[in-house]
Amino acid sequence: MHLDPTVARDSEAVAIHTQEEISKLIEPGRVHRRVYTDPEIFELEMERVFGRAWLFVGHSSQVPNPGDYFTTELARQPVVMTRHRDGKVHVLFNRCTHRGAKVVNERCGHAARMTCLYHGWSFDTDGALTVVPIPDGCAGGFRKEDFGLAPVPRVQEYRGFVFASLTRDGSSFEDQIGPMKGNIDDLVDRAPDGELAFDLGQHRYAYNGNWKLQIENVLDSYHVPFGHASTVNKQGVQFARREGDEEGAKVVETTDQNKTTASWRDRKSYVTGNGHGWSSNTALDDGKRSSPAFDAYKLALIAKVGAERAAQILTPRLHNSLIYPNVSIMGLNIHVRVVKPISVDRTEVTVYPVRLLGSPDVMNFGNMRLLNVTHSAASFVQTDDLESFVRTQKGLRSLASDWVDISRGLGAEEADRTYNATRGASVGELAMRAQYKAWLGYMQEAA
Amino acid sequence: MDTAAATAASSSASPAREVLELFLIREAKLLDERRFREWMELFAEDGAYWVPAAPNQESPFNHASLFYDDRTLMKTRIDRLEHPRIHIQTPPSRTAHLVGNTLIEEIDAAKGEVVVSSTVMMVEYRDDSQRTFAGRQFHRLRHTDDDYKIVLKRVNLINCDSAFDAMAVPI
Repeated sequence: MHLDPTVARDSEAVAIHTQEEISKLIEPGRVHRRVYTDPEIFELEMERVFGRAWLFVGHSSQVPNPGDYFTTELARQPVVMTRHRDGKVHVLFNRCTHRGAKVVNERCGHAARMTCLYHGWSFDTDGALTVVPIPDGCAGGFRKEDFGLAPVPRVQEYRGFVFASLTRDGSSFEDQIGPMKGNIDDLVDRAPDGELAFDLGQHRYAYNGNWKLQIENVLDSYHVPFGHASTVNKQGVQFARREGDEEGAKVVETTDQNKTTASWRDRKSYVTGNGHGWSSNTALDDGKRSSPAFDAYKLALIAKVGAERAAQILTPRLHNSLIYPNVSIMGLNIHVRVVKPISVDRTEVTVYPVRLLGSPDVMNFGNMRLLNVTHSAASFVQTDDLESFVRTQKGLRSLASDWVDISRGLGAEEADRTYNATRGASVGELAMRAQYKAWLGYMQEAA
Repeated sequence: MDTAAATAASSSASPAREVLELFLIREAKLLDERRFREWMELFAEDGAYWVPAAPNQESPFNHASLFYDDRTLMKTRIDRLEHPRIHIQTPPSRTAHLVGNTLIEEIDAAKGEVVVSSTVMMVEYRDDSQRTFAGRQFHRLRHTDDDYKIVLKRVNLINCDSAFDAMAVPI
């Protein structure tokens, strides 16, 4: 792990465990800088936000066959997702029940059983302890049944998306993730076979900044013309980002590179509670979009679901969706993005291209290749975001102000009955305020 | 080596190693001097620059890559590198490449192409921080007139599947 030794630790950091002290960090339209910079707050977030929320673990297609495994971290804790012989997906703490070593050390692979390197304890793919070498040395009363790999307390799968909660109590999957099922459907339904596969590799990038900077960014349409100025040409048009588009979105006026277009400003953001939200207005098919790949895809979709349903699917309401706190479903150039906090000022992100099953290879691979250009660590788009995150983290060392402003659109929110959500301008900061409302709820909940 | 290959080697790839090594050194110098357009001109019209995102990656066409630029994308990348508001290059990167351990891997006399591999290390300094990239690179070069054009430059970074801080300049 890389830590920038020059990053200042908050000298004023003091224990802030009381609910009252935490509540003072969030005000309407602004948040205290310490939510980004204070290592103690970060530790509390791991315990109270990541320790309580439903977290995205991975996609079931990452473990297609019995014995397949995939390792990751939840709230910094190593876990392994496996598929057992009966087909069930398990999420287990990747920690030997004997002396604590991490059992599975590869990122992904296949194993009939998982054997600890240290003393050879062996676990089945459902976590059951099967082999203890030199068993007659065990203490009296030792029972293998008591020493299986601990399962993560709650696991739920929805259309291949595997979520887990590190706490046994706490709100249910339906209460927490239920309102965002439609956003998962929006992506999965685009696959003619109604199913996704995460089997086109992944991008991994990291930055010296707080995890919330990435979370806030995915629903921030305000930054695009400026943060990504280097991708916008003299006509105010961003380079094409999707298969079949002749050119990209017009985001700023030709006459003034600081003036966003009305169509960009008219986009909406929606929030549903729990920190979740999405931004609107990425029709996949505006009638003008055409390429051999896109046309073949459209035909494949129509063949499977019929013209009427295909037209609905290709006119979706979603641009990017955030399922708070650690995953976003990106509808524009199709991918799923997972955020892993490492420390208060270090974050890693994994970007998965997704394959729409039943869609022609030429479409899936075309989407995958565009993602190299937009969201690899060496891409044209994400790199400028990363620079924004790093500079924000640096700027927040300043004691010039305690406050970070997220007040754009405050008071202008509207109720949206169609989606049972709150609606605001996408170039506003409604989504960030909703995230901090959820954050405060998690952080104040009694331990 | 058969006769045809030997002829090709003497005409286009021999005094092979020295000539090819000089080509690689010149290429690295263009990158270090941020002469990106001239660097792009080293590529054939059908040329590509590839940095895989997984060890032993078989193809850029069915798996994510850190870079996979054909000439069109290369030009978009370089336009952006020259854009006054590219934040990830404010300030710009300074790089030093070291190319060595050069070997001729393959001679295709029929096509007039040669594959040369080398160890590459690039040290990059930007904005008070310095880091190192290292790996083995493979250049498929096509002999043209008195010089070579790059048909494919593939850089196998030893840490290709790690989480990278933002990368703006080619390796």
